[in-house]
Amino acid sequence: MRRRRISASFAERLLGGPVLWAGLALLSAFAFGPFVWMLLTSLKNRQELYATPLQYLPRQYTFENYIEAWTSPITPFSRFFLNSLWVCSVTMVATTVVSVLAGYAIARFRFAGRDALLLIFLATQMFPSVLLIAPLLAQWRSLGLIDTYQALIYSNFTFTVPFTVWMMVGYFSSIPRELEESAMIDGCSQFGSLCRVVLPLAAPGIAATAIFAFVVSWSELLFAISFTTQTDMRTLSAGLLYMVGQYEVQWGQLSAGVIMSTVPVAILFTFLQRHLIHGLTAGAVKG
Amino acid sequence: MSTVSVTGGSRRARPLLSMRARTLLTGYAYLVPAALCLLATVVVPIAKAIQMSLYNDVLFKPQDYRFIGLANYMRLAQDPVFWLTLWNSFVWVFGSVVLQFVAGFAAALLLHQAFTGRAVVRTVVLLPWIIPGVVVGLIWEWLYQPNYGVINDLLINAGWLHDRVAWLSNPDLAMAAVVFTNVWRGIPFFAIMLLAGLQAVPEELYEAARIDGAGVLDRFWHVTLPLMRPIIVVATATRIIWTFNYADLIFVMTSGGPANATQITSTYTLLQAYSNLDFGYAAALSVVLLLVMLAFTAAYLRVTKGVEETG
Repeated sequence: MRRRRISASFAERLLGGPVLWAGLALLSAFAFGPFVWMLLTSLKNRQELYATPLQYLPRQYTFENYIEAWTSPITPFSRFFLNSLWVCSVTMVATTVVSVLAGYAIARFRFAGRDALLLIFLATQMFPSVLLIAPLLAQWRSLGLIDTYQALIYSNFTFTVPFTVWMMVGYFSSIPRELEESAMIDGCSQFGSLCRVVLPLAAPGIAATAIFAFVVSWSELLFAISFTTQTDMRTLSAGLLYMVGQYEVQWGQLSAGVIMSTVPVAILFTFLQRHLIHGLTAGAVKG
Repeated sequence: MSTVSVTGGSRRARPLLSMRARTLLTGYAYLVPAALCLLATVVVPIAKAIQMSLYNDVLFKPQDYRFIGLANYMRLAQDPVFWLTLWNSFVWVFGSVVLQFVAGFAAALLLHQAFTGRAVVRTVVLLPWIIPGVVVGLIWEWLYQPNYGVINDLLINAGWLHDRVAWLSNPDLAMAAVVFTNVWRGIPFFAIMLLAGLQAVPEELYEAARIDGAGVLDRFWHVTLPLMRPIIVVATATRIIWTFNYADLIFVMTSGGPANATQITSTYTLLQAYSNLDFGYAAALSVVLLLVMLAFTAAYLRVTKGVEETG
């Protein structure tokens, strides 16, 4: 009995000390190592990039890869970047408005078909996006929307809206209904109580929803390469792939492009990590 | 509610609609934008996809466009590549999800501990998950690069490898290489979900188990795991569906090659639509993909129901 307790506490000390630190070091290195390698690559010049034996650290740090990628006339990375910024921002705003309204309605009103609607939103997330490419392509073509931002923004709704509606339902359900009722007794209209009482309380959730919509649209690739044909209309993901497709792969420029595409989402994510995690897991933990 | 209040009520006319009806109408009004979105970008396209799958619809042969019934599906049943892609999809999903789960659980247990700098470590660990799939694919293509890739270099320096290996163009290794990349990308997902599950386990239960003499492992098996079952089921099922549908990574890294060694059903669909411009056949493939997912989802919903009732 006594021996068992001693060995247990020894195991605990081992787990809490060396095992924990070794595990954390390994985990961080595995997660972050590839980024570090990409960063180092982007700061090397051509000779150092293709040196044998491999040269790990650049002898002379250079930003020429970034400048070349950003200003290249054949693969205009700055244009890709701005395209992505615009498409994702509009997607983010529109998705947030739509899902706040729908999430509030589903969380607060009991109406026929409410559960069915929730299930449809859930099921939509399970549809393969390759299923939508051919029909959407036909749809945008007949509407003359190929090579427009609208086509990309509308298409992004297919995967942002269903998920963000679920996130918002979770947030609104966690806000006590009595608060609105008392606001309405004090003379607020239904819409007024939504704007003045519920929205301020749900602000962190709404921010998380918005960021989520932005980040997933930032990653979108298949729609972007399907519904655009001109180089000038490519988003970041599509543009990076296009850079690979041009002549031989320019790993210097490409790695600079990779770093530049990562930084914005990484910054957004750092700021809103906690809320985003809360939103993503809210439904799952409860369920 | 329905009776007009006694004092001064007579000044106000009775509203046209009852309070209840107005509330309900407001609710429906709030739903309209979301419903329209779904209709235009999901419901109509899916109906259209089903319709397309019944037609001979090859983009560069418009003269052959006609209704052919189930011929695309017959062709699919006899297409050996299709059956290969189903098997590859299974390997891809199974390999990715199992490894992501194990590593993600370990990561969650580590991140659950209190230590200085936890916020920083957590952000770093979650990074691979939020960056675009193209970026993940390109990073790993460069790491796997036979001559200038760091993976070959490290393995050779460590003495585990004699010659440089072309990871992505060797049919025996390509699948393992893309699965490994996907594992790197997916660990954070499980880490987040399971960390949330860990944080929801009440501390008192651990205390009680400790007092009863349960060791670290006992506590893990008999307290942590049973309580986390619901979230484990949800996270795993979501991930299976997502991985099955996911095409970006393989599309970027190998385009399904070499010799279809990494061709999964979703990339094969993409290939038919893109390179062969055979929209009818691609639509038939995607409908099959959808059916597989619906069957899985139905099974999953039954299982989660069971979990809710027992848990």
